[in-house]
Amino acid sequence: MSSMSFQEKSAWGTLASLLVIGALYFSSVINLWRAEQLHMASMFGVSVGFTVLLVMILVGFHILVAAISGAEDEDERDRLIAWRSGHIGGIVLGFGVVSIVLMIIGGGMVDSTLWQSPVIIANALMAMVFIATVVELALTIWFHRRGI
Amino acid sequence: MPGNITTRVRELRQAGAGMTQQQLAKAVGVSRQTIIAIESGRYSPSLEVALKIARTFGHPVEAIFSLEDDAD
Repeated sequence: MSSMSFQEKSAWGTLASLLVIGALYFSSVINLWRAEQLHMASMFGVSVGFTVLLVMILVGFHILVAAISGAEDEDERDRLIAWRSGHIGGIVLGFGVVSIVLMIIGGGMVDSTLWQSPVIIANALMAMVFIATVVELALTIWFHRRGI
Repeated sequence: MPGNITTRVRELRQAGAGMTQQQLAKAVGVSRQTIIAIESGRYSPSLEVALKIARTFGHPVEAIFSLEDDAD
């Protein structure tokens, strides 16, 4: 762990927290959907609750890491890694958003109310943001470990 | 992933009285992890950092960094 920069530790902590909270969030959404209780109000409550929990975990984690090993300023390598992983994460997000737009259009063409449901669209967008962020964090760790 | 640049940073850092990675990092203005990455060939530094490393060691930059093709 001592060979890790603050930015790499941050990426590991954020990725682990996001995977756990993301799994809890999407399993809650699926359970609500199976119980036919997935409405905008219930989804709003679940998403706000898990977002607040994620923020609290991340704030606590970063305070702990900074207290133990000290926060460091970014240097040119950190900025290059952040730019490249963010760039690829942005492409993934863009691809996901276009896929959702096609899903909405496709749903309209076949007259499917499911694929045009606001709660499905909102969760599809949440999933894409989740996937893009996971890709960005995983690439950040990869570039730190394997070089850039 | 990184470019095909060979480096003598570790060799020059350890030469003479020796210098820690942390000391070199501070002299150049980057993190110790970046010095580790440069020494292990996992990162090719910017021209600015390469020139600062060269100035720290008192050698021309081409004596520290070279393309792998030139090493032959």
